[in-house]
Amino acid sequence: MLIAALRDMQWRKRRFVIAILSTAIIFGMTLVLTGLANGFRAEAQRTVDSLGVDVFLVKDGASGPFVGATPFAPVDLRRIASTPGVEAAAPLVYAGGTVTLGDATRNADLFGAPERGPGMPPLSEGRAPITPDEVAVSSTLERNIGEDIQIASRRLHIVGIADNSTALANLPNIFLTTEGAQQLVYGGQGLAASIGIRGTLDQVPAGYKAIDRDGAIADLLRPLKVAVNSITIVAVLLWVVAALIVGSVIYLSALERLRDFAVYKAIGVPTGSIAAGLGLQAIVVALSAVVVGVVLSALLGPIFPMQVIVPAYAYVVLPVIAVVFGLIASATGLHRAVSVDPAMAFGGP
Amino acid sequence: MGDLSIQDLVVEYSSGGYAVRPLDGFNLDVAAGSLVILLGPSGCGKTTLLSCLGGILQPNAGAIKFGDVDVTSLDARGLSKYRRETVGIVFQAFNLVPSLTALENVMVPLRSAGMSRSAAREKAEQLLARVGLADRVTHRPSDLSGGQQQRVAVARAIALDPPLILADEPTAHLDFIQVEEVLRLIRELASGDRMVVVATHDSRILPLADRVVDLVPDFAESNRPPSTVQLEAGEVLFEEGTMGDCIYVMSQGELEIVRELAGGGEELLWLAEPGDYFGELGPLFHMPRSATARARTDATVIGYTVATFRERLGVGGIRDLIEHRPLDIDESAVTQEPG
Repeated sequence: MLIAALRDMQWRKRRFVIAILSTAIIFGMTLVLTGLANGFRAEAQRTVDSLGVDVFLVKDGASGPFVGATPFAPVDLRRIASTPGVEAAAPLVYAGGTVTLGDATRNADLFGAPERGPGMPPLSEGRAPITPDEVAVSSTLERNIGEDIQIASRRLHIVGIADNSTALANLPNIFLTTEGAQQLVYGGQGLAASIGIRGTLDQVPAGYKAIDRDGAIADLLRPLKVAVNSITIVAVLLWVVAALIVGSVIYLSALERLRDFAVYKAIGVPTGSIAAGLGLQAIVVALSAVVVGVVLSALLGPIFPMQVIVPAYAYVVLPVIAVVFGLIASATGLHRAVSVDPAMAFGGP
Repeated sequence: MGDLSIQDLVVEYSSGGYAVRPLDGFNLDVAAGSLVILLGPSGCGKTTLLSCLGGILQPNAGAIKFGDVDVTSLDARGLSKYRRETVGIVFQAFNLVPSLTALENVMVPLRSAGMSRSAAREKAEQLLARVGLADRVTHRPSDLSGGQQQRVAVARAIALDPPLILADEPTAHLDFIQVEEVLRLIRELASGDRMVVVATHDSRILPLADRVVDLVPDFAESNRPPSTVQLEAGEVLFEEGTMGDCIYVMSQGELEIVRELAGGGEELLWLAEPGDYFGELGPLFHMPRSATARARTDATVIGYTVATFRERLGVGGIRDLIEHRPLDIDESAVTQEPG
């Protein structure tokens, strides 16, 4: 009976192709949205990892070293740096800012850290900034070493490039010395958003809170939380639409083939075989749509001005969910097919 | 495999709230190897009977035995097995699956019986060759003529060599050349122990039959003079589902015209009073009575044959009759007849 189901798909191929393409577009969009949401996290993780900080110390009451930071004077820095297990400690600065590039302006994330870290990422070109007027910038800013950029009223000289270093939905990261960042962000006061520690910290000093990398990533993602949740809701709605398309195609197929099913039953074909045939159609539609959807997502991803990084698990989960959703959505059609009265086979056309 | 025995078969269904019994106490005994033709007009119960024989429709009462199988006592699984192994069905509208080739259509019952793909393919090719379609195996139904489609349907029906073949109006959609092909094939099928039951209203195929079962015994139209019938209160003039050749006109008393309800009981359709007439459509169209006529009081009715009634009505009277308009009936020249 499975061959009969496949033959029926050939017979009505135009309809099934339309269904597959419609579902594939939705699967493709779902993958892109998943990639967008994942892209936010991936770039935040890449940025935090690149800083080479194992533990961020923030003041009690602050919710993170970046967005949720409460600036403080790092008076305990020397004592913390000498704590057993701590390899290095440095005051770190973070703020959002606007970069002027000729006539254009772009939002950017500003990081302040000492030349040798912790807090200064490895650079693909040039060197880390040494003086308050020097910066290392993300390659996505599309500026070269030797060029100048303007942040607020200060003109800064590019001495290094960090490859594809972005955060907060593809905003370029800009790295300064701690002092340079303090001049930009705190008007030259010796404040810090956090103390970055390389190594381990057994005892958190009183008045401070330790935040690991995962906490730091969550803090950096905080402004995007609403956007990520919205994307997730849209993705779920798309799943529902995809399931409805698969289900309605299978239901219509079942409705049009009721006479066939009645004949099958009348000549003794087991009901299970009839249901299996329809189920196979749902699976073929869903899996074909997945394949086309993956190709579409690869084509659509680069169009977006943000990073679309589809996680590997999505390619595994998508066909599984597609098949399960497809079968669930086809349940009405399956029920209609298996409950058909074989007596319907009698009578005229 | 065996003989067919049908005892007191009753099939009832509801139509608009009324009970309809296409089969009511039907009996039939047929010897193995026979070709039986069920004859009758549309709606007389031919297809209903075939459905019961094929294990597709469960009768309300009665028994069907084919050989040593009591069909009416089988459960759903048993019926599915019975349909697959014992019965082959040739449907009125061929009912080939349009997306499958002729070969694949014939392979369906073979595959569902567990036969391997290659074995099923080989057997299907043999069957199609047997019905003269060896060169049409890869054609889809839409590329075949009506006769060829019917032959594919026959090949599918005999794929598992069932001892009982049921054919529902096998000549309904065929021209006379195609009818010849199919009739020859059907006759060939009824050989050895294999029984073939054909439901049809096509009298051309009657000479094929070993036995003809007329599901609606017709009456010969007569032209006898009107007769008076005396009824006592409670006496039934005619019953629902029976045949009759008279149209009645009330002369005295009252008659209830009642129809049986699906859930039991009966509904009074109307009360016939002197001057009213009733029972006209059954005799006119050779159909069973659609209601029962029973005297509410002592009553006298005059029975007219259709021919006599036509004479009385004159030109255009039949239309008045069908539309049940009041008629001007002359009650002279009526003979007396005991109720």
